[in-house]
Amino acid sequence: MPSARRLLPWVLVFWTAGAAAQDRVTVSGDLDLRWVQASGVPAYLNGGLGLLRFDPDHEGIRLGRAFLAPNWRATDIVSVHAVIDAYDDYHSRNAVDLSEFYLDVRPYPTGPIRWRARLGAFFMPVSLENRGIGWTSVYLITPSAVNTWIGEEFRTIGAEVEARWLGASSGYLGEIAVVAAAYGWNDPAGVLLAERGFGLSDRPSTLFGGLGRPPIEFYHEIDRKPGYYGGLSWKHHDWLEVRALRYDNHADPGAETDAGGYAWRTRFYSLGASVEPSEHWTLIAQYLNGNTAVGPDGNQQFYMRFHADFALASYEWARERFTVRYDNFDTNQVSGFFFGPPSDETGHSWTFAWSHQHGEHWQFVAEWLRVASVFPPRIALAESAAQVESQFQLAARYRFRLAW
Amino acid sequence: MVVDRDGRGVGEVVVAAVPADAAPGPLTPPKPAVMDQRNREFQPRVLVVGVGASVDFPNNDTVSHQVYSFSPAKRFQLPLYKGQLHPPVTFDKPGLVVLGCNIHDAMVGYIYVTDAPYFGITAPEGGLTLKDLRKGDYRLVIWGPYIADAPASLVRNVHIEADEPTTARVQLSLALRARPEPRPRRRDWEY
Repeated sequence: MPSARRLLPWVLVFWTAGAAAQDRVTVSGDLDLRWVQASGVPAYLNGGLGLLRFDPDHEGIRLGRAFLAPNWRATDIVSVHAVIDAYDDYHSRNAVDLSEFYLDVRPYPTGPIRWRARLGAFFMPVSLENRGIGWTSVYLITPSAVNTWIGEEFRTIGAEVEARWLGASSGYLGEIAVVAAAYGWNDPAGVLLAERGFGLSDRPSTLFGGLGRPPIEFYHEIDRKPGYYGGLSWKHHDWLEVRALRYDNHADPGAETDAGGYAWRTRFYSLGASVEPSEHWTLIAQYLNGNTAVGPDGNQQFYMRFHADFALASYEWARERFTVRYDNFDTNQVSGFFFGPPSDETGHSWTFAWSHQHGEHWQFVAEWLRVASVFPPRIALAESAAQVESQFQLAARYRFRLAW
Repeated sequence: MVVDRDGRGVGEVVVAAVPADAAPGPLTPPKPAVMDQRNREFQPRVLVVGVGASVDFPNNDTVSHQVYSFSPAKRFQLPLYKGQLHPPVTFDKPGLVVLGCNIHDAMVGYIYVTDAPYFGITAPEGGLTLKDLRKGDYRLVIWGPYIADAPASLVRNVHIEADEPTTARVQLSLALRARPEPRPRRRDWEY
């Protein structure tokens, strides 16, 4: 889809054209600067097999992220949403790129079922942690291993339909939703998990960029077969939310491109719950389990199982929020012999974050993270398979929302 | 006075006094009312009006809203707006009208349209005083969005003498369905 790169100027044209109307166009933005100190092996983004975003050679003052998220309400029920991202770690690719770009259709409910459709490129509705704009976490800087991976390798490029039962009209203070999507251009999803395993990074991929050195790109259609996901969500009163999702990119593991890109058949299910038992506390847990395969003989050439989960507790009072999270993850290469040492990863991590909201626009976050992992392919880089990595970050975020 | 099963007062409860021996209907023309929108919430969350009342829906929030109802008592839509763009909406049938916003699913408001001549909403401590009731027998009808008890089980019959205060205390037998005060959220940065 390289020609779609030309879409970006059109986004800009669209959101300035509607500027006369009241709140028809809004632009949210975030400038996130960091001071980083890290220990451990070189990060995957820099050509290593470290699990974190930064490493000892990439410390100090860094651009965490800068984005603009324009939203154009074209009609009363149709809006266009985009997230335009800038990172400073692109080595040879676009400095500015899209990470989401979609049409959101929400007809007025005429009964207790509300329909919603999304068309374009967007994140799947799987996380209870990364609920902010552009896959940002509301609770910490670094998402869990589960949601790091979703942000890195997955984007729904296709159509999603949701039917949501609104309980309020029946006297029930809650909602139940069923969601289903069909998509393409996500056949390489799974390759990063085989190469690096699960990681912990707030650097999601963008639509036309890649991650790593040399960069892997995730958004290609290789086998001309669509994938799907289906999910359920349940909100009960104002304190419980449950989400379940079954994902299958339905790729043909034998398909490859002339350039040597492979289709990875990746399937998983995810189950998550968020509980807010009192005014101050939020508890979140998520569990993900699946497998991925590549190679013309189906499961014979390379087949890997994986699992990741986390539990998070967050306490919010006034302008402060303190969050602690425990992550646990592993991959298990069941078959496949041409990649050297097996991609059998085990790891667990603790993350602590304190955030402070300063006025309308500023947020300051301090986060410390420690991850211990074992990953045999590191031996090929003359590193020990077992590594302990840590990362301390101070973030200063300036956030704004403009409306016309 | 409306109290929960532990004896604590319950606010945002509609109490309507229906005369037992007279045809229902407002004594005076219904008063117009206002359902405001602030901080991505309807304010008040619960409003009670007489049949035929017109309700204004100003949006004093920082973001636009799209108000709708598909309740049988009143179906309507107010397309995307801020400020005072739309004329008031008239509620001409008794019943419960559940309000939503097409952009913010978490926004829920309730307008209880009644043909009773006397009505009101309890204060946060659960108290409500209805004044100037005529002498006679009344049925007190009670409804609240967080009350789990069946409405019929909460009906109270009271006798009113002229110039003589009468009190009624209604205790719920089931727990409320949710905390009456949802936690404040910094929603602005969330989808």
